[in-house]
Amino acid sequence: MDSEFVLEMNGITKKYGLNTVLKDVTLRVRPGEIHALLGENGAGKSTLMNVLFGMPVIHSTGGFQGQVRLEGQDVKIHSPMDAMTKGIGMVHQEFMLIPGFNITENIKLNREISRPWFVSKIIGKDMELLDTPAMKRDARLALDSVGMKIDENELVSTLPIGHMQFIEIAREIDKTGMKLLVFDEPTAVLTESEAAQLIDVMKSIAARGVAIIFITHRLEEVMNAADTITILRDGQLVTSLAKTETDMSELARLMIGGSGSVSRVSERETNIDPTKIAMKIRHLAVDQAGEATVDINLDVREGEILGIGGLAGQGKIGLPNGIMGCYPATGEVELFGEKFELNNAKQALSKGLAMVSENRRQVGLLLDQSIEDNIVFSAMQVQNDFVKGPFKLKDSKKIRAHAEEMVKELDIRCTSPTQASGTLSGGNQQKVCVARALTLNPRFLFVSEPTRGIDIGAKALVMQTIVDLNRKKGITVVVVSSELSELRSVCDRIAIVTDGVVECILRPDSSDTAFGLAMSGVDVEEGELAK
Amino acid sequence: MKSMTKTKKLVSLVLFAICAALLLTSVVGYVKRGSSATEADLNTMRTQSVLHAASGGLVETFASRAQSDKLMELRKLPNFRKLGTAEVTRQCEEAAELARQEAKERYSNVQGTDTAALESEISLFEDTVAIYNNAETAEKEVYADAYTALADSVSDWEEFVGEKDDAALLASIREQVSELPAQLDESFVLLARDMKAAAVEAAAKADEATEETTTEESSDEQSVDYKYFVPSAELTALEEQVEVKYGSLWTVLVAAIPDLANLDEKISTSVRESIVEILSTTNEGFTARYKAYHAQEAESALSGKAASSMKLSANAEIILIASVALLLLTCVYAFWDFLTGKMGVPRTIILLFFLYLCLAGRLFEMNMSMLMGNVLERFGMYGILTLAMLPGIQCGIGLNMGMTIGCVAGLFGIITALQYNLTGYTAMLVSMLVGSLVAVPMGWAYSLLLNKMKGSEMTVSTYVGYSFVSLMCIGWMILPYNNPRIVFPLRGSGMRVTHGLIGVFAHLLDNLGSFRLFGVKVPTGLLLVVLLFCGIMWIFSRSKVGIAMSAVGSNPRFAEASGINVNHMRSLGTILSTVLAALGIIIYSSAFGYAQLYTAPKQMGFIAASAILIGGATTSKAKVNHVLFGVFLFEGVLTLGQQIANAAVSGGGLSEVMRILISNGIILYALTQSGGDSE
Repeated sequence: MDSEFVLEMNGITKKYGLNTVLKDVTLRVRPGEIHALLGENGAGKSTLMNVLFGMPVIHSTGGFQGQVRLEGQDVKIHSPMDAMTKGIGMVHQEFMLIPGFNITENIKLNREISRPWFVSKIIGKDMELLDTPAMKRDARLALDSVGMKIDENELVSTLPIGHMQFIEIAREIDKTGMKLLVFDEPTAVLTESEAAQLIDVMKSIAARGVAIIFITHRLEEVMNAADTITILRDGQLVTSLAKTETDMSELARLMIGGSGSVSRVSERETNIDPTKIAMKIRHLAVDQAGEATVDINLDVREGEILGIGGLAGQGKIGLPNGIMGCYPATGEVELFGEKFELNNAKQALSKGLAMVSENRRQVGLLLDQSIEDNIVFSAMQVQNDFVKGPFKLKDSKKIRAHAEEMVKELDIRCTSPTQASGTLSGGNQQKVCVARALTLNPRFLFVSEPTRGIDIGAKALVMQTIVDLNRKKGITVVVVSSELSELRSVCDRIAIVTDGVVECILRPDSSDTAFGLAMSGVDVEEGELAK
Repeated sequence: MKSMTKTKKLVSLVLFAICAALLLTSVVGYVKRGSSATEADLNTMRTQSVLHAASGGLVETFASRAQSDKLMELRKLPNFRKLGTAEVTRQCEEAAELARQEAKERYSNVQGTDTAALESEISLFEDTVAIYNNAETAEKEVYADAYTALADSVSDWEEFVGEKDDAALLASIREQVSELPAQLDESFVLLARDMKAAAVEAAAKADEATEETTTEESSDEQSVDYKYFVPSAELTALEEQVEVKYGSLWTVLVAAIPDLANLDEKISTSVRESIVEILSTTNEGFTARYKAYHAQEAESALSGKAASSMKLSANAEIILIASVALLLLTCVYAFWDFLTGKMGVPRTIILLFFLYLCLAGRLFEMNMSMLMGNVLERFGMYGILTLAMLPGIQCGIGLNMGMTIGCVAGLFGIITALQYNLTGYTAMLVSMLVGSLVAVPMGWAYSLLLNKMKGSEMTVSTYVGYSFVSLMCIGWMILPYNNPRIVFPLRGSGMRVTHGLIGVFAHLLDNLGSFRLFGVKVPTGLLLVVLLFCGIMWIFSRSKVGIAMSAVGSNPRFAEASGINVNHMRSLGTILSTVLAALGIIIYSSAFGYAQLYTAPKQMGFIAASAILIGGATTSKAKVNHVLFGVFLFEGVLTLGQQIANAAVSGGGLSEVMRILISNGIILYALTQSGGDSE
């Protein structure tokens, strides 16, 4: 039976425990088309692909609901291997290549062409010889079809990163019977010209009748390459439309969220003086793997809450970590008009800076130690607070009193201040981190991903706490978050970091389109920018 | 308790009931021991034992006579030479056995005789023997005290004895030993001369030996030689009285069994010996008495009921041990979740093992108070060495197998003290000072290496620990110290392997304020020093720096984010660990009585690591109480385990094998756990 679609995924629902990550998602791909799958981080793109490839993580968490049809036939895909034999291929975001093998060997890995000889006739097929010339011919063919002119005998480890992507593609193309190829953010590590070349390759592959699912968040590339676009948001299908029916702005709006109205926690009563600068950042480059910033220029105004948004991996998290001395950084930073020394965590803390780390369990807390010890740790080490006597012994009474005060003030739910912080829930752990930062009596506070991994009720509380700190104690706060709605609910201005630079600074009430475009690295209209 | 299943509850209850029943039985047995009925039964058994011993002599006489008769008879045979030795022996023994059976039958039923007279004679003799034994013990104690006092106070016998004549020597002996009974004067002069000879011989031997094998710790308490013991006049008089009383007892015995009159002299002496042996148990309580009588098959004199009640009394102790053992097992079974929650599985098992070893020690009738004293002593010896593991774990370098570097530094301190002929506390303090001063830069250099190799500290430290000890084997050889006390005598340079510290600072701390509690020697000074250092470490762990150091150990990224220099803290921890190891080996050597150089410190890291891990530490988290608990359990299990293993399985070597198995097994276990350390 012939079908209009090479792949149909109908009504896919997937739950991890009580958490629904995909809800009734439908994806239909025609043969020979480039189908872009668009969405923010956490929108469910990866999970959908995991379902398609029958990844173990899906099966081990109770499977999924819905129907997968390949060329009109119901199929059950049990494993990635199974998916491969059914003609579905994947070009990975992280390269799955063996550096010590040459290109041919990588392309033909596990699908080697072999020929029998007398030993293999006795012992079995495993002992057959490799038919290297035939393999090379195949590899050459595949490389040519992706427009690569390099020698097929070269070792993968000697290639530039951009070329590895094409070898991955060549490997997928070389597989016979390939019907559907998934590209998972293939342009993330490529230069502009390489990205353009890749899109050409994709088009030529599609022209041969192979369908392509193209996962990305770069709107320009989508507009350039895709025939059809499916947008996911918060695990739900937003829409599926043809490229000709839409434009970039609409896509950005659809990706970010359509509601339009922003629910603010509380509005500011007094205005911020835009000339008073708390922190002046110039040419900040931070070397944090996966979140590196390239050239950040930003002014943080005194008394404001500044949001830093952007997609994962674009460098927004590198900003606070670089300034706080957790990762090597270069650039010029001025704090309240004074020159600020980078790469010195102790100095940063003693100058009145504090940070609530995004990595709560690994950087933010001593999990096996008590709440009170966690709360006073930094203050004790940096400001010699909470110690007594010539040996600087810890002052248990003072610590207890302060911890109890903090527990009350921030409403940390615990049995006592001596409870180990590792046994608390995520939200309460976050509050302990906030309490530790507050104990330093900071003038300037970084809060990085404050709501990561905590439940919805606790999220609201944490955001409320941040606003209270700003309003009541006058602390300048920089909030880094992947969740735009969160930033828009508390911030005065929101800087969007893309590709390691500040793309633009938006108002919380700027349009969804503006945010969507900014995150994709597309220029935003003047009117949407913050003053 | 909540989570207990129904079956578990039921099984526990049944087990507890069995324990209670056993306990009750043993209590009944113990109560019976004190009853007058048992006393009477015991006396009956005593009479029977004496008779049995006497008739036993007769039986043996008959048997040996029969044997020699048979031999004579065989000799007369014409084909005697063709019989062969085996055949002759067999036939002779057959005859002897036959005669023995016959004699036994004849003398087995002597109860009919005048037991009343016999009993009173036995009682009289028994009392006399008891008085004599007491007097003898008292005198021997005086002798032993004087002996040890002399042996301990004299460090150089050659100098002490010198060329003095008897009177002068005696005078100097009296200087050392305050209470020396007059009759011992002469013996002690002889003794001192002997000691001198022995010392000279030992020195000559040490000259020959260039490479000694490491002496494993043996009980270093000197055994008293009774060769020169001379009884006082009173004791001699008492001995004569014993003689007289035995004469009258013998008369009564002969009256009961007339055949005794013509006993061989040899056999009659042995009969006398066994009778004295049976009767000298009077003051030693039920168990000893019962045992002595039991050996003479004296139960046959008791009626059926009395016999079974006697059996119960006799076995009360074994039943008690069995019930306690079962009780422990039941407790562990019933409260498994609670115990393992509190202490973790390995500690629960090892604690149980330790308690069982104590019970087994009772069962093998070992000197538990001495063993417990040994446990305490070794607790003190290894306390600070194990404490040296603590800062290493806290600062994040894990198990510091390289603590042997500190041990070497400490040994260097001791050698320095020896070089300058220091003694007493001066020597100890100088050793500690020099040891620490050397340990600080060595620990620092070692920490630089560790900081360069984060993530593989365990490998680095084990390798460095081993290789540094080996390197120092060369170092000891070329160290430019030249005091003849410490260099190889013939070579004139290079440190000896083993240095006796008697007269320097051996047992300085463990004898300081030591006392006996229930017969257990408590090395007060040693324990106090260990506790002092533990206290210092505890206070340190509560200081700002200590807190920063543990933060580095448990979460380096957290510490770094708080502005702490991770490498500095790791260096600090490593240096602390090295210095503690240096102090530890000095205190260890002092308590051991010897300082051992060369490869001897090689294993220290493993011992300390196993001890702290048993105590509940992991490779990333440790506290002072882990050290204390761990050293006690580890040394307890080892000390008791080695002795009991030797008692249970004859043939040496087992104890050493056990030590290696236990200590390395524990380290391996801890390493398997360290991966899944997170909560």
